[in-house]
Amino acid sequence: MEASEAVDRPPAGDGPQDDILVADSVSKIFGGLVAVDDVSFVVPRHSIVSIIGPNGAGKTTFFNMLTGLYRPNTGAIAFNGQDITRVRPDKIMAQGLARTFQNIRLFGTMSAVENVQVALHSRTKAGVFRSMVRTPGVIREERESREKAHAVLKYVGLRESVFEDMSRNLSYGDQRRLEVARALVSDPSLLLLDEPTAGMNPQESAQLTDFMQQVREERSLTILLIEHDMKVVMGVSERITVLDHGEKIAEGSPQEVRENERVVEAYLGKQS
Amino acid sequence: MTVEAPPRGPTPQSGVGGVVESWRRLRRMRYFGLIAGALTIGLAALIPVTAFGSTSKELDVAIYAVTYVMFALGLNIVVGFAGLLDLGYVAFYATGAYTVGWFASDHFSAVNGGQAVNFGAETFLTQGIHLNFLLIVLIAMVISAIAGAIIGFPTLRLRGDYIAIVTLAFGEIATVLARNGADIKIGEYALTGGPTAIAPIDQLKLPFLTAFDSATDIRPYYLVGLGMAVIMLLVSFALRESRLGRAWIAIREDEVAAASMGVPTVRTKLLSYATGAAMGGAAGAFLGFYVPAIGANQFQFFFSILILSMVILGGLGSIWGVVAGAISLAVIDRYLLRETLKPVPEKLGLDFSTTEIQFGVYGFLLVIMMVLRPEGLFPERRRKVEMTQGEGTDETVFEASA
Amino acid sequence: MEAASIAAPARRPLDPVVQFLQQYGLIILLAAMPLYYGIHDLAADGSLTRLGNNLVAGVSSGAIWALIALGYTLVYGIIELINFAHGEIFMIGSFTAFELWSITFGLTPESAVAAIVGGLLVTLILTMITTGVLNVMIERVAYRPLRNAPKLAPLITAVGFSFILQNVGLLWQGSSQRSIPDLIDSGAAFLTIGGVEIERKDVLAVAVTVPLVLLLTTFIARSRLGKAMRATAQDPEAARLMGINVNTTISLTFLLGGLLAGAAGLIYALYQTNLWYFQGFQAGLIAFTAAVMGGIGNLRGAVLGGFIIGIISELATNRIGNDWVPVVVFSYLILIMVFRPRGLIGEETREAG
Repeated sequence: MEASEAVDRPPAGDGPQDDILVADSVSKIFGGLVAVDDVSFVVPRHSIVSIIGPNGAGKTTFFNMLTGLYRPNTGAIAFNGQDITRVRPDKIMAQGLARTFQNIRLFGTMSAVENVQVALHSRTKAGVFRSMVRTPGVIREERESREKAHAVLKYVGLRESVFEDMSRNLSYGDQRRLEVARALVSDPSLLLLDEPTAGMNPQESAQLTDFMQQVREERSLTILLIEHDMKVVMGVSERITVLDHGEKIAEGSPQEVRENERVVEAYLGKQS
Repeated sequence: MTVEAPPRGPTPQSGVGGVVESWRRLRRMRYFGLIAGALTIGLAALIPVTAFGSTSKELDVAIYAVTYVMFALGLNIVVGFAGLLDLGYVAFYATGAYTVGWFASDHFSAVNGGQAVNFGAETFLTQGIHLNFLLIVLIAMVISAIAGAIIGFPTLRLRGDYIAIVTLAFGEIATVLARNGADIKIGEYALTGGPTAIAPIDQLKLPFLTAFDSATDIRPYYLVGLGMAVIMLLVSFALRESRLGRAWIAIREDEVAAASMGVPTVRTKLLSYATGAAMGGAAGAFLGFYVPAIGANQFQFFFSILILSMVILGGLGSIWGVVAGAISLAVIDRYLLRETLKPVPEKLGLDFSTTEIQFGVYGFLLVIMMVLRPEGLFPERRRKVEMTQGEGTDETVFEASA
Repeated sequence: MEAASIAAPARRPLDPVVQFLQQYGLIILLAAMPLYYGIHDLAADGSLTRLGNNLVAGVSSGAIWALIALGYTLVYGIIELINFAHGEIFMIGSFTAFELWSITFGLTPESAVAAIVGGLLVTLILTMITTGVLNVMIERVAYRPLRNAPKLAPLITAVGFSFILQNVGLLWQGSSQRSIPDLIDSGAAFLTIGGVEIERKDVLAVAVTVPLVLLLTTFIARSRLGKAMRATAQDPEAARLMGINVNTTISLTFLLGGLLAGAAGLIYALYQTNLWYFQGFQAGLIAFTAAVMGGIGNLRGAVLGGFIIGIISELATNRIGNDWVPVVVFSYLILIMVFRPRGLIGEETREAG
């Protein structure tokens, strides 16, 4: 009954100048509060780009607009050349834009495998009638989805012994891994990570940094991060965008941003 | 299945501990579920048919039990799997039963120039449309599914308690339509008979068999009902372990995260309403044949709460739990309250009839369950966690995208 | 790096229409009924008297709905939960009031005017206290223990209580509707303006409701407890940190809601001269529609919604038929939920979805 949601994606990259994501003068206003103020932003294909800024700068709000959870008040967003400004989150995800959440939002009472299988919803097509009678096609699709889930869980480093545990019982580190696995399993072309190293010690953060680069290479991904850990940001980003009070105040290479006065002020000002 | 933690201390060999340990080992055997299920169903088929008289009260209760199981399984899909609190389930009992009222009676008496239109049915009536039982069930399911989608549609952007109120309102509209249906006319045909029952209704007839005769033998009705309940049971299990079932549970847990993982929330929710409604419609159609009179007084808000109580008693989402809840309440409602306990109030010197306290009994049941054991009597493991530790969020996708 | 500019998404031609509908659609739908019947009347016999009578009856019955709606809105504002048992509190109020005035005080339509007035005042107070306390008890037993459980749990508990109370009503006054003596000769005309009759029951309804509503709003706006209520409604955690006893505040809210429902019950009994254990269920849904129509959580909205629903249901009763009133009112409820869940004067708060 349900046709596959996967939209044909344009071939990966026409060249190094191709931008996978373009946001043009995007704003978000809640009641009287301007959370994001006229931000324009591009993400070049295959790059690793970070968004940083003090707390409350509007970073997660911006992410939520990219993934379709919030509708921008002004501006437009394009992904792989297609306008996604007012598209539903599940459709955007089906087009290849996956994300993790700042506060882990796993389906707590589902197992790790089931969590990942949910993320395959847009890549599978068993409808209600065929599921009811369990046709051979459905059984095969279920088996394949379990296999894919197992594969990606192994890939992110989850031990097989916890695959069937309820995800809320997993350790914090495993939960974070599971979140990433969920985002990866659908073969996205752009991965949005919202504070992936929150709560991690330096060792784990370094591991994650390596993992990001590994994943970018092996799966031809583009990665967009929100991060607070400066070591990670400076270490892995090719370009950094800085938001403060909803506005873009700086953008450039790690070196440029580190030396930018406005950025230093924005952070130091908050720390006084 | 999760691997159970090894029992602490030395394995008990005797007494209650020994029994529990044996049970645990039995459960881990392969195909336990399949064998136990087949056994249960076999017994369920044989015992009532042989032990109870062919028109006995006990068999009547058994028929209601399997009917309630059907209704409860249907509601379980909406409330248990997808987490949408539907308080208007009586609407689907109505759509199912009235399909029988329209197509297995002389309601449409003027059709075909006053000659009966017969399609696989056995009837002594000379007018009206008379369709075969299976055909009617199919039609009932389609009508109910459409009604379910219509009822679900306004609730898509709403959260918990609002969904309850809107579905309740729809349920009320359905009962009012049933009650006043005699005045709603399309052409020359009334929608319903109002409080006056549409009767007589044809006896149930399966293809290649002669029609049943509920005056002399209701055992065939029981077997048909049991068969339908078993099918719905299998369907419930199949759906729960499917892509769609996971989508429903994901929505129930965290709708925003589900949408971000690619689950189309609108379509998935509507499917849950429609599927649950279709099952309710089929059950309603069966009951319409068994209680061969379709009158508006059968459709009250109380029915929605009755079925909800079964789902809650058994454990939201837990399929076997819901079955147990349905059977328990069937026995309580149709047997204990109406028969066994009837003499009690008088003996206690109180002046009321047991049937008069139905509401209070169910209300009390709901309160007790929520306060003492919100996860139900036989919860599935995830619900136990959810209900006792407040898992999950209430946020809808549409709140976010204002 | 410059952001490549993308063509702004084409504005779909229907957008301004949709916007207009969202802003004014509800108001248009509400005004449609009185307007339609007004025009119909003028065309039929050139007189608006019948419509006038409808409106008067609508406003006065609307007062009853307003009182009940306030109860819903107060509770929802503070704990974000619909008190499913609220309608039954109203029903118990009616039953209690009748019991008090007819049996305890032995008032009949033949009693002296002074006795009736005095008796009714005492009945009002006693009834309000009863229902107020009952509502507080329900909060303690059904809602408080489940405050941290998923929202489903207290909802179902409230439904359970609603049923228990309905059963109490059923055992008390029987399962069918029961006519009671018309204590104040409610249908007698009090005043006639331009052919439109204002009956005693209309005056009664408004005379009891207006002071109560004024008292309530003043209490909430001025008193310390009222401020505590508003603070808790806005942000329970912050209120707690400021030293406000949240539990007591919530109990107080339930008490106020119960008081109003009791008053509504008394008015209803005198107004309709009819008691039925099921009246709370229907009244509850209708009053809830009123609360939502005005904007849940908003006191003025509840009152406004009450009057509007009163007018609509009165028009439906008089013009279409008593049987169809639920369908008309609930259709409005569903439309509101779909197109304007925040109601007429509600803000886009985090709750109403």
